This record gives sequence, structure tokens and C-alpha cells, in this order.
Amino acid sequence: MTLSGMKTVVGMTAMALALGAGAAQAKDTVEVAFIGPLSGGVAANGLGGRNSAELAVALRNQDPDAKYHYELLVLDDECKPNIGVQVATKAAADRDVIAAVTHYCSAVAMATADVYHRFKLPAVVWGAVLPDVTYGNEYPEVHRVNGTMINQNETAAQFMTEQGYKKWVVIHDTTDYGKGHNEHFSKFVTESGGEILETFGVASDQQDFTAELTQAKALAPDVIYFGGLSPLGVRLRRQMEKLGIEAQFEGTSGIVSDAYLQGLGDLAEGSLAFIEGAPLAKLPGGQFFKEQYEAAGYTDPAEAYGPFAFAAMGLVLDTIEAVGPDRGKVIDALGNTEGKDSIVGEITFDDHGQNVVALITKYVAQDGEWLVWDDSEYASGQRSLVNVQ
Amino acid sequence: MQNNLIYRIPVLGRLSESNLSLFAGLLAALLTTGFAIWFLKAENEYVIGFLLALAVAVTLGVSRLGGLGYVGRAFSDHEKLMNGAAVCGVLALAAVFREDHFTLLMIAIVLLYMLAGLGLTIQFGYLGLVNLSGASFLGVGAYTSAVLLAHTAVPPLLVLVIGGVMSALVGCLLVLPVLRTKGHYSAVVTIAFAILFMSFLQVNDTLGGPQGLATGEMALFGWGFNTGIELENGFYGSFYLNYLLLALALLVIAFALVKRLERSWIGLSMDAVRLDETAAACYGLSIARWKVVGFTLGNFLIGMAGALYAMMLGFIAPANFSFGDSLILVSIVLLGGIGNPWGLAVAAAIVVILPEKLQMIQEYRFLLFAGLVVLVLLFRPDGLLPRGMRNYIPGGGARS
Repeated sequence: MTLSGMKTVVGMTAMALALGAGAAQAKDTVEVAFIGPLSGGVAANGLGGRNSAELAVALRNQDPDAKYHYELLVLDDECKPNIGVQVATKAAADRDVIAAVTHYCSAVAMATADVYHRFKLPAVVWGAVLPDVTYGNEYPEVHRVNGTMINQNETAAQFMTEQGYKKWVVIHDTTDYGKGHNEHFSKFVTESGGEILETFGVASDQQDFTAELTQAKALAPDVIYFGGLSPLGVRLRRQMEKLGIEAQFEGTSGIVSDAYLQGLGDLAEGSLAFIEGAPLAKLPGGQFFKEQYEAAGYTDPAEAYGPFAFAAMGLVLDTIEAVGPDRGKVIDALGNTEGKDSIVGEITFDDHGQNVVALITKYVAQDGEWLVWDDSEYASGQRSLVNVQ
Repeated sequence: MQNNLIYRIPVLGRLSESNLSLFAGLLAALLTTGFAIWFLKAENEYVIGFLLALAVAVTLGVSRLGGLGYVGRAFSDHEKLMNGAAVCGVLALAAVFREDHFTLLMIAIVLLYMLAGLGLTIQFGYLGLVNLSGASFLGVGAYTSAVLLAHTAVPPLLVLVIGGVMSALVGCLLVLPVLRTKGHYSAVVTIAFAILFMSFLQVNDTLGGPQGLATGEMALFGWGFNTGIELENGFYGSFYLNYLLLALALLVIAFALVKRLERSWIGLSMDAVRLDETAAACYGLSIARWKVVGFTLGNFLIGMAGALYAMMLGFIAPANFSFGDSLILVSIVLLGGIGNPWGLAVAAAIVVILPEKLQMIQEYRFLLFAGLVVLVLLFRPDGLLPRGMRNYIPGGGARS
């Protein structure tokens, strides 16, 4: 166990001891689960989510008004669907676990929905963005606090057409992430009067885009839309420059990372991207979350979806407080969530358990950092995007 | 256990050495089953750590005292009895955990990985064909069962067989480039296939694309496997129990097949091809023919495992069948001891259950797990249970 791990354990123990003397002893213990990718390529996001969920539980246990004492069961889904089904079965088959906050990876969330339904375990998704996780089934057990790529692309399409862009070339990776973004963006942008000149699907580890970009150049689009993650985005943007393509670069949530900015240096300037959620400072309860997260002494950052894990866990705990530790009642109560305050804004679930008040933020890269569009010099008119009409 | 052996030997001394080994073998089977139950029930990290240390200490201790030699002899002298004991052990586990969904799922996964491992054993262990696309063939079986169950009325039991056949057919295509290459190069061909298969699944929307697709359930004579067993006398069994028992049945058949194959002239020919292709060819063996036979048979078993795996999980996605998963399958074969089906049992249990039991150390578990594998390979480079000599006459020259 590393130092940070030790610190967490020591901190938690100290917290538990401090409370142990008082009312906590008398309370019934209720178990809740957190599932996310703690190892593998996206472990950073999983750890951020894990810490945030843990924080929500620790804060609740400090609250003397809480009716129960909560214990958190943490499981690693490795971002693999088959492992996800295993750990979901573990959590769901354990009758002591009343509810779970689950999954960052869409493919895993898709695979485990059946498990939660079969064992009737209320689950609140904290990070997976694929629409089908909630819309692809009729399970009352599955809910989601974060927005989907539908919301993201709706905002993106609307924003881009407002800027006066007319013609797009879409390049996306062939994972569920890239394909989903392509599908929804193309739909929304066509609806708002834009035109998709050509669409290219590329492998998520492709190195050379000369073939695709040469064709794209001949079509002279206003914008190159890219649906994929940072490493691919860096290569694509660099090769666009090499081939001298004069087009605005528009990405998705996958490129909003430091890796993208560092990989490109000055070339990143002016790239656009959209993300579900918002920087901590822009969240309704962002300041509170940030302070608490730092006070708890976590060394890993909370990452973009940490606040959602915190909010999801908060929602689950509130629901258990309200209706008691009973899975069936918790499922019913979660389904009726409406206008619930959280640090990511109001939460209202539709009949599929999807949060309809989804928060989408527009970002632009300026001077080596991702700035919220409204705060940038691009919005104020001091700088301008490529090909703006 | 050491004490038993040392002090009782004067009493048992009247027994023949063969009976002594049988005693040791049955005792080992009993202890292993007991240990497995204890380990699977353990939730506390200290208990798990203690049990792991205990297992290592006892195994090392017994092996120092020469006890493992007796156990090894039991498996060669009393093969049928020991096979029966192993099956009884699994049945005992199934009975103990009959209501425990998660544990049953884990045991069933171990059994299916063993089934796939048997396929790889034919390819690797007997023929020397390194197949680094095991998970892809698992995937062929899995996707076959998903598609057939969704769109046709083929009985699920037949779907299992068709899954294996499809996997064998796809293997027949791959075997062409494999035959034209040797050694490392043919391994590289299979890596290429694994990547090709993965990309194919990701761009193929009719097969669910990168999101994957849901799979139907196994059913026998109209009885769906996804319903738990409930008897009038109050017995309740999780629906995973059904899958576990079916997986066990498949495994027993495959195990018997592989063991007989090894003992027969087919196994001898395959061994000859592995050890020296030129010499084997000089003696009139058709290298290409045996490679095709072994490769196809191995893929059939892997595909069948994949088909049942998909039905059990209920949802499959390309990410389940990546190159990394192929490496896991290969690591099971290597860790167990190439060519020894019993080694697979130990290795599959370690590879599947250990990371799961280490969940409480969260992000550090793979570090520990990987360290363990490195240690095993350092100190037992031939795997945990290396393949013994072929044993035609019971009691003759068994090696542990």
C-alpha cells in the first residue's frame, strides 16, 4: 500500500474512531458499493471517482443527523465488460449492499445493466456516457446523473451552427465512443442546417491520417470534427497542420485533457471541445467539493467525473436516509427523483432514469489551457476561430 | 499434513506403495477442496493473506518431504479414482455455494477457462503451435451463440457445438498462413489475427459494434438456465449452478478426450512434430496434417467454451476478446505447466479467483498478482505442475 493509500486508511480510521465514541455506535450499518475502473488505461478517472464517492460516504458518516452508518464496498471493473459482470454480480448478489454507484466505461455499464435488473439492485451510473445505458433498456434499477453524448453533441451542433459554420468533415475512432459521437453529432448538425461532407472512421491506434486528410483537404470543410480521445487527437491535429488544412478543429470530451495541450503545444490554440459537466469552479457546489476533497488529503485528482460520483453517491445516501435501507423502496424513490439539489446542479430523472438537467460546458484551448468558452478571448472577440463567417 | 505422513507411515507401511500414494492423493484432493471452500468464503483481507501464506507453506513443506511425489503417483496409478475425486471436489464446492451467485459464477468461469485452456494445451503443449489469439476463438464461439440464439430457433445445446464448429472453421482459415510460417513467425500471425478480429468486431454494426450485444440463455428441453433451481423440499440453487454443472460436464468430456488423445498414437505424432519437425517428417509424419488437426481441434474446444461463456454472462462486447485476454489464456497454460491438463486447473483458479479476492487492495492488486506470476516463473519456470512422462503402464515411472 502506498503512502497515499495509508493516509486514506489512517484518515478514515481516525474519522471512524472520532465518531465511534459518539452516536455512530448506536446507528445501523448500511452497505453501499462503488464500481469503477481502478486499474488499466482509464484508472485515473476511476480513482478520482472512487475518492469522490468515498468522500461522500465519509462526510455522511460525520453528519450526526444521519440515520445510518455507511460502509463503502469498492470494486474494480477494469473497464472490461466481462470483469464488470463479475463484480456487479458480486455487489448485487450481496443482500447487504443496498445500492451502488457504478461504472465509468460505457461498454461495462451496458453489460451490467442486466445484472442489476436481475438482482434488483438500484444503480446510479456516474461516468458512462453512451445513451443506451439508460435508453437501451426499461430497467427501473438503472439511473444516471451525468449527461450523455446526445446532450453533448446537441449543444455542440447548436453552438457551431450559431458561429456560422456550414460544412464539416467528421473523423472518428471506431470504438463505441467515437462512433456514438459521430452518429449523434451528424444528426444534430444536419438538423440545424449544417452539412457533413464526408465521414472517416479510423482505428483508435492509427498513426497516419494522410489518406483521410488529403481527401478532407480537397473537400475544403469549415470544420474538422473529431470524435475520439487525446492521443489520436494530437496526431490528427498535427498532421492537419502538416498538410496545410485551414479548418477549425472541433473535438469532443475526449480531448479535454492536459495530454492534448502538452502534446500539441502552440498547435492546440483555438481547438474547441464540449464536455458533460463543468470545471469545479463553475459547478454549483464546486467550491465546497474542492475544499472537502483537498481536506481529505487525496493525492490523485478528482478528474472530470469525480463530482458526478460524489453527487451520485450523495443522491443514493439521501434516498436511503429518506426511505430506509430497502432495495425496492430505494429503486422507487430514485425513479421519482425530481429537482434534487447536488453539486453538479439539479438532478431530475426521466422515465428511463436519465438525468434530464444535464450540464454541458463549451471549452476552447487558449494559451496552453482549456478555458470555458465564455471566459475566453475568443468569446469576447479579441481572438477568432478559423473560418468564422 | 506432514505429521500424518511421517507418523502414520509405520502403520501404512503394510500397504503397498501404490495404495499409499492413493491415500496421499485422496487426502490432497480432500484438503484442496476444504481449502477452496475456506478461501472462497473468506472476505477479510487478513484471512485471505493467511490462507495464501498457508497454501504456499504447506505446498512447499510437503514437497520438501517428498509428499508431492506420492500425490503425483496417485494421479498416474489411480487415474480414474483421482479424476473422480476431482469431479467430486467441484461438486462439493457447488453444493456448499449453491445459493451464492457470485462464487458460483467465479467457479464456472474457472471451469470454462480450463476448457479453453485444454484447447490451447493441444495446440501449445502437444503440437508446439503458439496460438496468441485464444480469446479471438473464444469470441467466435461467443458471437456465434449470441447471433444464433437471437435470430434462430436452434436448440442451445446444439448452439454450443456450432459455436465450436464455427471457431474451428475460422481456425481453418488462419491455419493457412500459420502453416507457411514457423516458430515465432507463426505466433506473430496469430497476434495479427487477434487484432484483425477485434477491429472486425468493432466496425461490424450487425454484430453490435463496439457496444456489444446481449446473448440469450442456455436451455435444455425447454427449461431455461437463467431460472434458479427450486425444489419442493426447500432446496434453492442459484441459476449459476446450472451453468456450473453444464460447464463441468463439458470439461469432463473434453478432459477425457484430451487425455486419451495424449495417450494415443495421435498424441505421440503431435509430440514428435513439436520436438523435431524434420525428424518427424523423415519418419513419414505429415507435419501439415497434424498441425491442421491439432489446431482445429483446439479451436473447437475454445469456441465451445466461448459459446457457453457468452450465454452465462448474458452480454458480450469486443473488449472481452482483446489481445490482452488471449495473453491471459496463454498465461494460464504457461503457469500451469505446458501440456499438463491438471496444471490448468490450478492456474485457472489462480488467474481468475486471485485478482477477485484481492479486490480490497483495489488499485494495487495487479501489482501483487503480477509479482506472484513473476515469482512462479522464476522459481518454477516449467509451470506449477510440469507435464510428466507418458504413462502407459500404471505404476511405471510417474513424475510429479
